[in-house]
Amino acid sequence: MAIDGSKIIHAVMEGSRIRESKGIIPLFGVYLSLFSTQYYNQLSFDFEKRMGPRRQEEAKKLLIGAAHECGYATFEGIRNSTEWEHVVAPMIESKEDEIRGFAAVAVAFGWGDLEVAEIIPGEKLRIRVGGSYEARGFLDRYGRAKSEKCYMLRGVAAAFMDLSYGGDYPDGYSTFAAEEPMCRAKGDPFCEFVAAKSHRPRQDD
Amino acid sequence: MNELKWTDELGRKGHQVMLVGESIAMHCHHYNINLQKTLEDNLGAEGVRLLVKAAEVASYSGFRSLLKQYPRVTTLKSKLEMASVMFQNCGLGILHFQSIRAGGGLIVSPSNHHVTGWLAKHGRRKTAGCHFVRGWIAGALEAIYRQPLGHYTVEETGCKMKRDPECIFQVKAR
Repeated sequence: MAIDGSKIIHAVMEGSRIRESKGIIPLFGVYLSLFSTQYYNQLSFDFEKRMGPRRQEEAKKLLIGAAHECGYATFEGIRNSTEWEHVVAPMIESKEDEIRGFAAVAVAFGWGDLEVAEIIPGEKLRIRVGGSYEARGFLDRYGRAKSEKCYMLRGVAAAFMDLSYGGDYPDGYSTFAAEEPMCRAKGDPFCEFVAAKSHRPRQDD
Repeated sequence: MNELKWTDELGRKGHQVMLVGESIAMHCHHYNINLQKTLEDNLGAEGVRLLVKAAEVASYSGFRSLLKQYPRVTTLKSKLEMASVMFQNCGLGILHFQSIRAGGGLIVSPSNHHVTGWLAKHGRRKTAGCHFVRGWIAGALEAIYRQPLGHYTVEETGCKMKRDPECIFQVKAR
C-alpha cells in the first residue's frame, strides 16, 4: 500500500490544534512547537557565521549532528506513538514504507516537500526536496551560497536510515551519514540528500 | 478581545505550514533543545545572545503581522491577551503578563516548552535557560508598543530549569 501523505498531514494539522493545560502540544510522541522558519534559519546561519571561517566545517557538523540526533529520537518517538499506530502503521508493509512514512511526517511538519527518490534497502536513501525552508531562507537572506545549507534535513535523512536499518534503538545511531550533493541555496534546481553507511566508527566499535 | 481565529490563521500553502501569513515549522523539544545546547556549548554568552536575538526578530515580525491583521485589537490588555494565546497555541507554554508598562514589567511562566524539553533531555541546570522565551517576549512587546527591535531587554530571574517554582522574566526598556 502506498503512503497517503494527505492523511498524515490531516492528522498533524488537527493534532497541532490540541494542547494540554500547560500550553504544550504532545503529538506523535513528542512535545511539538510551532514557530517561524525565520528563527531556525537565523539561528543556524548566525551560528555558522559566528563560529568563523576556521570553524565553519565544525559548525556544519554540529548543526547536522544536532538534527541527526534529534531526528533519531524524534522519529523513534513518532513511530511508537498512538497517532502513528492509527494513521501511518496501517499503510506500512515494509521498511521502505516506514521511511516514506517518516518523510510524509516531515512534510506535514513544514520541513519541505520531501520526496523519496530511491531506497536501496540497508544501503542508501536518496531524498529530493524542492522547497526546503533552509535553502529558501539562505537565498532570501544572503543570496546564492557557495556550499550546501540544509543542515537540518541532512541530519534527518541519516536518522531515517539509522532507524530503519541501523539496528535496535538507541544503538543504531550514526550507522548512516548523509550528504547534500545538490542544494537550491547554491543554485541547484532542488536539494538532494543521500544517506549511506557512515565511515565514522561508532562508539561501541 | 477580538477572538484570534486560530483555525483560519494556521493553515497550509502547498507544502508550507503558514501561521498569520508567515512560514512556520513544527519542531519538537529534541531539536529545539539540541540547537540551544549546541549554541551555548560552543559560543557561550554569544550563543545565548544569538538565541535571544533570533527569537526576538521572529516574534517581532510575527506580531507585527498579527496586529496588522487584527486592527480592532487596540487596547494593551487585549494585545497582551493575544500574545498569551499565541504563545500557548504555538505549544510554547503559558505566559502571565503581570504588570506591563511601556517602560517594562514582569512576566511569569508556570510552564513552557523549553523547560519541559530541557528537563526531559538534560535534567536540572545551574543557570536560567529560557533564552528563547526572553527573545520571544522582547519581540512581542516591541511590536505591541511599536518600538524598534532591541528596545527591551528581558532577564530571567527565576527559572524552572534550575528548579525554581516558576520562570520569572523582568523586562526593561534600554
